[in-house]
Amino acid sequence: MYQLTDVTKLYAKGRHTVPAVRDLTLRIGDGEWLAVQGRTGHGKSTLLNLLGGLDRPTSGSIQLDGKDLARFSESQVTRLRARSIGFIFQTFNLVPTLTAAENVETALIPVGIGAGERRRLVDAALDSVGLADRSRHLPGELSGGQQQRTAIARALVKEPKVLLADEPTGNLDEDTRDEIINLLEKLWRERGLTLILVTHDSAIAQRAQRIGVMSQGRLNLGAPAVRPDSDG
Amino acid sequence: MFFLTYLRRELRRRMRQAIFIALGLALGIGLVVTVTAASTGVKKAQAEVLKSLYGVGTDITVTGKAPKPLAPGSGPPRGGQTFQVGPGGAQVCTNGKCHSAAGQTIDHLGSDSYGPISQSEVAAIAKLSHVKAVAGGLTLTDTSIKLPKNFGQPGGSFPTPSSFTVQGVDTSHLSLGPVSSGTMTSGRSLRGTDSTANVAVVDSGYAKAHKLKVGSTVRIMKHNFTVIGIVRQPQSGSPPQVYIPLTRAQALGTAFGGKSLKNDVNTIYVTADSAANIPAVQREIEDILPNDTVTSAASLANQVTGSLSSTSRLANDLGKWLSIVVLIAAFALACLLTIAAVARRVREFGTLKALGWPTRRIVAQVMGESLVIGIVGGAAGVGIGFAGAAIISAVAPELSATIPGSTGPRVVSGGPGGPSARAFGPALSHTVAVPMSASVTVAALVAAVVLAIIGGLLAGSFGSWRITRLRPADALAKVA
Repeated sequence: MYQLTDVTKLYAKGRHTVPAVRDLTLRIGDGEWLAVQGRTGHGKSTLLNLLGGLDRPTSGSIQLDGKDLARFSESQVTRLRARSIGFIFQTFNLVPTLTAAENVETALIPVGIGAGERRRLVDAALDSVGLADRSRHLPGELSGGQQQRTAIARALVKEPKVLLADEPTGNLDEDTRDEIINLLEKLWRERGLTLILVTHDSAIAQRAQRIGVMSQGRLNLGAPAVRPDSDG
Repeated sequence: MFFLTYLRRELRRRMRQAIFIALGLALGIGLVVTVTAASTGVKKAQAEVLKSLYGVGTDITVTGKAPKPLAPGSGPPRGGQTFQVGPGGAQVCTNGKCHSAAGQTIDHLGSDSYGPISQSEVAAIAKLSHVKAVAGGLTLTDTSIKLPKNFGQPGGSFPTPSSFTVQGVDTSHLSLGPVSSGTMTSGRSLRGTDSTANVAVVDSGYAKAHKLKVGSTVRIMKHNFTVIGIVRQPQSGSPPQVYIPLTRAQALGTAFGGKSLKNDVNTIYVTADSAANIPAVQREIEDILPNDTVTSAASLANQVTGSLSSTSRLANDLGKWLSIVVLIAAFALACLLTIAAVARRVREFGTLKALGWPTRRIVAQVMGESLVIGIVGGAAGVGIGFAGAAIISAVAPELSATIPGSTGPRVVSGGPGGPSARAFGPALSHTVAVPMSASVTVAALVAAVVLAIIGGLLAGSFGSWRITRLRPADALAKVA
């Protein structure tokens, strides 16, 4: 469970200080799916970076399961990311020289799992995203949708508690977008993930349990139009 | 192993750049190996020349002060032979006494390169602290002139002198001096019981040229010396041709002024108890013998001139600096290209950090890549170095070394007989041919490996420095 209290993140821009996130207080429950929308430059990605420990707040606290990330040392945050947080990026961010399987394996390297167990977990992860037959392909040999599936497998292979997705369908066509979102939703359901998804796409946001809109660094939370656990 | 898989794939992706960096390092390292090999070859040649002069184990050599050369118009030297053509016909003057020269054979054993040193000085040097061993020697030249019967007459023939070098050896200290650097090919060497015997050990080259073998005789000052051994020596230093016991050389030889050499030597060979004490011993000997020449191997090496010396300077100065400049350029190139490669991989490293890779793990990956490039460059550099050394050995011309103060024939103009007067005796210096051979040593190979590792680590360190400063949020923001 995330508990953000009075979180502010300021950036220096020349002589001025620009607030990317302002006085944000937010609770995200375990297994919750929160969609974050907003215009470019209003703090969506900054919020995601703060939640993932990639950045530190200027003030306030970000607690994950009662531990304040803002007070963690760099190595503690790194360990936390290695074990508990999965990332999915808009541009997939696969290592171009590694095969799909090896890209997925990169997520297990810092966890310290043996090679045999790593192979088993990688095969299972690729199978879960429907890419078992593409494991030896390089990213350049995969379509955009397949690359994002690989990135999802990489994010989930270590079975994290939290999945942070930064516009995961931003670079995909409509059919592939639906395919990826369906996959994410399926995995979220099956694994009980806490999913925080940044998107410009309202259709995708509508599928989350909650929607937050970032504007001028402030998050305005609203109720979801469609709840995954509802009929409609 | 994932580390190696990632490393291999990344190097394959950046193959062209990796080869470029490796070639730069290879060029620098190859040049270092080549220059080191050439330098080693020159040093070996120098050492060979010096060893043949000094003998094995000699740290310091003392030579008697050379007598002043004949001045034009001065009288005949008492210790040398001169012949002159005057109103009374051709005359030979030996030790200042002149008589008709026609049909005579004159023989002289002496040295006008080195003046005599009393043998008591050898004992004085032996008493110095840090002196391990001392031996005296006489470096002489036997000059024989057979004068034709019509010599001095109108249309008469001119005499042709023949000479060979004779080394008087202290038979109680055979481990010092030039004879120690040789290898007996037949017969035996001199020994302590030979001190008063007319026996000789002959240089193999001289023996071959004069068809001498064990049992043959060599005539010195009208005395027959039985050849008891043939010795093969490094020819680069023009070694003495005949070795006889010191006592016999002292009895038969005369100094430049005609004085007997009995109880004199003109060369003293000294071994210090350690290399560190050589300068101190040299200074002490200089105090005892202020007028004589005290030379250590190092100082003699500085006196060697000729193309050997020029090549040595070329290898040490130009070669060394050229290697350093190329190496620095190669290192700088490797560092810049590695930094550029890291800059291009910011997103990749940012992603790995987001996945929980510790910075040190990413740094290790980059260092590993750089190290492999460095090692490949080092291996190629060693190959280039071997090739360079082989080319130098194949195409380098034979070098020459001009060595001061050694023996050999010379002709000096002057004397009371006017322009036609001639004196024969040892020369003050001589030039020897030295084959140039560049050899790659183990030390050079170790240096190449070390340089390769340093180059790789240096380049990797610059790249790693960039990675350690990389904040994952910034890295990912660059592509978001």
